[in-house]
Amino acid sequence: MTAIILFISTALLGCTSQEGAPASDEQAGEAKKTITISWPRDIGPMNPHVYNPSQLIAQSMIYEPLVNYTEGGKLEPHLAESWTISPDGKEYTFKLRQNVTFSDGTPFNAAIVKKNFDSIMMHADNHSWLGFIGVLDKTAAVDESTFKMTLKQPYYPTLQELSVVRPVRFLGEAGFPDDGDTAKGVKQPVGTGPWMLSDYKTDEYAEFTRNPKYWGDQPKADKLVIKIIPDGDTRVLAFEKGDLDLIYGEGVISLDAYKQLEASGDYETRLSEPVATRQLVLNTTNEALSDLKVRLALQHGFNKQAMVDGVTSGFEEKADNLLSTNFPYTDISIKPVGYDVEQAKAYLDEAGWILPAGKTVREKDGKPLELELIYEKAEQIQKPMAETLQAEWAAIGVKLNITGLELTEQIKRFRANDFDLNFFSNYGAPYDPHSFIQIVAKKGFGIADALANIPGKQELDQQVHDALLSTDETKRQQLYGSILTTLHEQAAIVPISYVKKMVVYHKNVSGVEFPANRDGNAFSSLDIQP
Amino acid sequence: MFSFTLKRLLAVIPIFFFATLLSFILIRLSPVDPAEAYLVAAHIHPTDELIAQKRHEFGLDRPLPVQYAQFLIKMCRLDFGTSYLSNEPVWQEVQRRMPATLQLAFSSICMAVLISIPIGFFSALYKNSVIDHLSRLLAFFGASMPQFWLGYLLIYFLSVKLDLFPVQGRGTIVHLVLPSLTLAMGLIAIYTRLLRSGVLEQMQEPYVLYARTRGIREKVIMGKHVLKIAVSPMITGLGMNMGKLLAGTIIVEEVFSWPGFGRFFIEAIFNRDIPVIQCYVFLSACLFIVCNLIVDVLQMMIDPRISLKGRTGH
Repeated sequence: MTAIILFISTALLGCTSQEGAPASDEQAGEAKKTITISWPRDIGPMNPHVYNPSQLIAQSMIYEPLVNYTEGGKLEPHLAESWTISPDGKEYTFKLRQNVTFSDGTPFNAAIVKKNFDSIMMHADNHSWLGFIGVLDKTAAVDESTFKMTLKQPYYPTLQELSVVRPVRFLGEAGFPDDGDTAKGVKQPVGTGPWMLSDYKTDEYAEFTRNPKYWGDQPKADKLVIKIIPDGDTRVLAFEKGDLDLIYGEGVISLDAYKQLEASGDYETRLSEPVATRQLVLNTTNEALSDLKVRLALQHGFNKQAMVDGVTSGFEEKADNLLSTNFPYTDISIKPVGYDVEQAKAYLDEAGWILPAGKTVREKDGKPLELELIYEKAEQIQKPMAETLQAEWAAIGVKLNITGLELTEQIKRFRANDFDLNFFSNYGAPYDPHSFIQIVAKKGFGIADALANIPGKQELDQQVHDALLSTDETKRQQLYGSILTTLHEQAAIVPISYVKKMVVYHKNVSGVEFPANRDGNAFSSLDIQP
Repeated sequence: MFSFTLKRLLAVIPIFFFATLLSFILIRLSPVDPAEAYLVAAHIHPTDELIAQKRHEFGLDRPLPVQYAQFLIKMCRLDFGTSYLSNEPVWQEVQRRMPATLQLAFSSICMAVLISIPIGFFSALYKNSVIDHLSRLLAFFGASMPQFWLGYLLIYFLSVKLDLFPVQGRGTIVHLVLPSLTLAMGLIAIYTRLLRSGVLEQMQEPYVLYARTRGIREKVIMGKHVLKIAVSPMITGLGMNMGKLLAGTIIVEEVFSWPGFGRFFIEAIFNRDIPVIQCYVFLSACLFIVCNLIVDVLQMMIDPRISLKGRTGH
């Protein structure tokens, strides 16, 4: 028996090593400020030009954009000190910031910017979701610090799209593979950002330290550790134990857990400004939903405030506007559609959907008013909202069938226009509002197809086209105003609630901010009192 | 014994064939297109052109029999293709993550055996005593409590409240305790009861009475004879419970952020990462077959009558 125990102990110890966890500062004998957070997935290979499995949050710590998206949609110089746009809106000339180096000491200049663009454009198809990639004609390193981009046609959101976290951020020379094609992988994650990846263990943790060569303000903490914790409840327990200093993100813990941590009074909790709008898309190619009165009846027929408060426990805020007004061009005046059951019933009567005596579902020409709402079954808010709508609309004589789907299946049916009603959320900053209006006009994303039967759809599409090409700020504002007002009046996309990011942190943590860019991070300002 | 082992080894071939074929068919029955799932996971908008391009890249546009044949040929060379999600060879991903999963599974089995043998044995020896009642209670809890829930309870009380163990992660041997215990609990529940009934049954056997009349010490009878035979059903149970253990590993790895292959597999399922799913099914089938084979051989070694029975039957 002793031999067995000895064997087992040796085997287990053999599989285990102290290297498994990041070395604590006490072990290193240093008094450094370390902030520990968590993330549900491994940070991935830290390639700035590809998507999964690299995680946006970590990519944004190492790699930087030419232009930075700040509060309210203001674009500020970052790696580009300044820029000029030709009067026809096709040529963008960037003056690069001087004295910027990558974390390995190599210079950041127009040649490396060009090299990054060349690598990205080798796989332009993968990035076609970014409008400016589709119209990018050529790029040139004019001199050491001047980089020029020429477009095939004007596209005003080019600067906004240059501020996204991927793929247009810059890898240092040492990171490039020999053939220059980063889609095949990067040799090492060398960026110009405030952080450097100093230690990493797949699926366990990633440790970032300050980049001593950083051109901007140095992060307040010396080290930031991201622990990979896939489960939300474990994340909360690790936080309560003190293993994590901060929990940050969207949907990273359950609403109940957030409320519980908030109610305990032991921690600080905060919600961000709206980062997106949770919407309900009514498919106008459905016979019943093609009628504006039915769409308005459905909007009047549920108590939005009660539903949002009840389902999200105040975590989200009731939305009246399709896009929250903290995005550019979206601060327009609209008349909110209120909760009014009698008005909803009247609209349905007017539309010819009559409630036969003794029945609970309205009918028109012998056909019942029956609709299907699809929702993502793994998402914690969509299902209870679907159930609420089912109950609320039953009271006005509408039968709502609800179908839970996997995300991919939900998107597939949305794209194929195979739905009556579906939940949707816009992309957030820095993608909106231009990405939102693009999918209003462009088929294949679900929205444009669902709006096919609203009156004046062609005119709406033309307005979208004009807004994206416009180089006149006033005209663009007018076009946005008109587009959003039409969408509001047609009631085929119903705003439900404003989605927010959350943060929970210990009281010794300070400098907690939310990034203006939904995919970015604000870790540089974080500080901790040991 | 040699022919028995050889026969069992030959039976492995059709089992592998059916396991791989079944997984191949089941994955393709899903309404979710792996190419579309890949694009959604990558936050790339899935246009028809991109989906077609990815389908071609993944070889999903070829006829199904061709896809299956290619998979089988590659599998023989331990080439499971490239993960759609990580863009790395699946076998490399397996090698990176499997040691952690095996470590967890191995330590759980050890824990289950080391805990259930004394509890099962003593609860039979002292039938209807406090230890017997406590072991029954433990078995009830172990068998009825979902693993994720047990995991959270252990973390909450032993880690958050008493600060005895880390909440999550892998690193030192202390990190192993809670996930292993969570995983082992279900097995402990079964084995304690199996062993208890086995010991009680053996205690009624005539050889125990003869041994006593020969004046052999009670400790020797129980430890050397009764326990040895009573342990046999436990070994069978161990082989049969490998599936439960594997499924449990997936959940426990998720709850304790254990960096094993189970977590990777979960993501693979959600993202329809076919090469990873197929590799996991293949490895699971291997593990099942090998474990069952080992169990059979072990039982034969403990109780040679099994081999004799087989021979007479033949």
